[in-house]
Amino acid sequence: MRALNLRTKTVSLGGHRPLKVQLARQGWVFSAPAFFIIAGITIFPILFSVFMSLSHISLTYSGFKFQWAGMSNYSLVWSNSLFQYALGFTIIYTLVTVTVELILGMGVALVLHKLTSGRGFLLAVLLLPWALITAISAEMWSFIYNGVYGVLNAIVMGLGLAGHPVIWLGTPMLAIASTMVADIWKTTPFVAIILFAGLQMISSEVFEAASIDGAGAWQAFWRITLPLLKPTLLVALLFRTLQAFGVFDLPFVLTGGGPGHATESLAILSYQVLFEDLSFGPGAAIATSTTLIVMAVAFVFLRVFRVQVGDSESST
Amino acid sequence: MKKSRSKIRRWLTASNVFAVMIAIIALLPLLWMVDTSFKPPLAVGQFPPSLFPHPFTMANYDSAFGPNNFQRFILNSAVVSLASTLCVLLFGSMAGYSLGRLPMRGRIGILVVLLMISVFPEIAVISPLYLLMRDLGWLDSYQALIVPYTAFNLPFAIWILRNYFLTIPKEMEEVGRIDGASGWRILFQIIMPQAAPGLFVAGTFTFTACWTELLMAISFDSSMSFRTIPVGIALFGSQFTVPYGTLFAASTVAILPVAILVLVFRRSVVSGLTQGAVKG
Repeated sequence: MRALNLRTKTVSLGGHRPLKVQLARQGWVFSAPAFFIIAGITIFPILFSVFMSLSHISLTYSGFKFQWAGMSNYSLVWSNSLFQYALGFTIIYTLVTVTVELILGMGVALVLHKLTSGRGFLLAVLLLPWALITAISAEMWSFIYNGVYGVLNAIVMGLGLAGHPVIWLGTPMLAIASTMVADIWKTTPFVAIILFAGLQMISSEVFEAASIDGAGAWQAFWRITLPLLKPTLLVALLFRTLQAFGVFDLPFVLTGGGPGHATESLAILSYQVLFEDLSFGPGAAIATSTTLIVMAVAFVFLRVFRVQVGDSESST
Repeated sequence: MKKSRSKIRRWLTASNVFAVMIAIIALLPLLWMVDTSFKPPLAVGQFPPSLFPHPFTMANYDSAFGPNNFQRFILNSAVVSLASTLCVLLFGSMAGYSLGRLPMRGRIGILVVLLMISVFPEIAVISPLYLLMRDLGWLDSYQALIVPYTAFNLPFAIWILRNYFLTIPKEMEEVGRIDGASGWRILFQIIMPQAAPGLFVAGTFTFTACWTELLMAISFDSSMSFRTIPVGIALFGSQFTVPYGTLFAASTVAILPVAILVLVFRRSVVSGLTQGAVKG
């Protein structure tokens, strides 16, 4: 892993002032296309979305009409039970999937780390679910879960765990759990590879010293591996949390947000309000709320992260 | 135990057994999908399902790539993903080189802003972008996806490429400069060839992200002639019947390009994930 080196030296051609100015100008010329596209397609729309969320938007013959609405879209949205449910669902979905993915990912990373042969093969196998189109993954799982001819029912009934076919996507609780399992299957490899890379960076001498000191495998894991892996773990946690909070593809294709609204995430609700109800103001209010929550989570994480780095330094 | 003569015994360590289990769990659902794609359409809806296709048939492939026109969706995905990847690599290396090597003021601030942009949820920009595309008359066109895909993948690519440019010896640039080469020539003829590994990482990530993206594609390009593969898959079938055989035949073909890309550039992808983790 390459250390992040933010400070770069300027070209040292005997401190030529005009050259430095010339090179800086060249830098802006080279960067202009990238900055222009990024600003136009991400920064400007995000700001415009905030403006939309504060407007009454009506569709007229001459196009969209914007009228200042203050916070009314937000109060409408936040007092709506569908939004409250989607917010709760998204939070629980994020908490459960990210926790399970980190635990399983840690296990897979340890196996990868210990493996003496076939590591390249296992890495390649793990990259397949990660690179799979999520819409395909969702259809694949909907076929496996199918209540009439799904293979999961054949397995469950074959093992005698159920006497009759289970409608996996038919009841809210089962549908939520099934969606989470499909997410965990697809995303655990991603977490595992990041954690594996983190493990590779820990010097093997540290582990040797531990075993010479008579530390058992379990003790070595809790006392040495985990603390040393903390920065990588936190980064994986942050990255996955932000990603999971915007979840759209999997529930959209697997359950369509159903049964009822049981698996409707904030992103799905926002999409439906925008494109099915054509309520652009409230839709933008949901999207902006989601963005603000994501940013708040990122901010808190970075705060906690810094504090913990400080703690571990002072305790050693 | 350690000195057991049996080779199998030696191989059966805990980590090897777990490794096999992990590989099976990761692969089985995929294999089941590919297996199903070769079953006769009627056998797909049979319970309990048969383990292997009997008789083995290409009927689902004929249906996916005949009347259901999935070849068109694959073509659309290829056009959009390749064009976006080329734009990202071109503009990304120009900006990455500048931010890494040229004495621009405020570079660190710009890099931090790029990081923040890359964690924003896509849903945040969908509605304003939809209105923008509508005003430009771009709905149902290739550029409706190429432009936003380029924008969304640039920040990560700039970071990755900048990291690679930092590792290239500065002397090479200086020699070029003394010889009087222009900035463009220094970048494209001296620096770029050295950064090939970085270009592979950024290229593989961008292509994979474009090939799999659903939300923008379904919002801006949902008409039959501009659907990409994820949209074609998501909107296939009706609420009550999903022709899984056809769907899985299309899916099996759609997986291949990215699967090959990821397997060929395995090292690049792993190092990219690692750097992605570092940048968080």
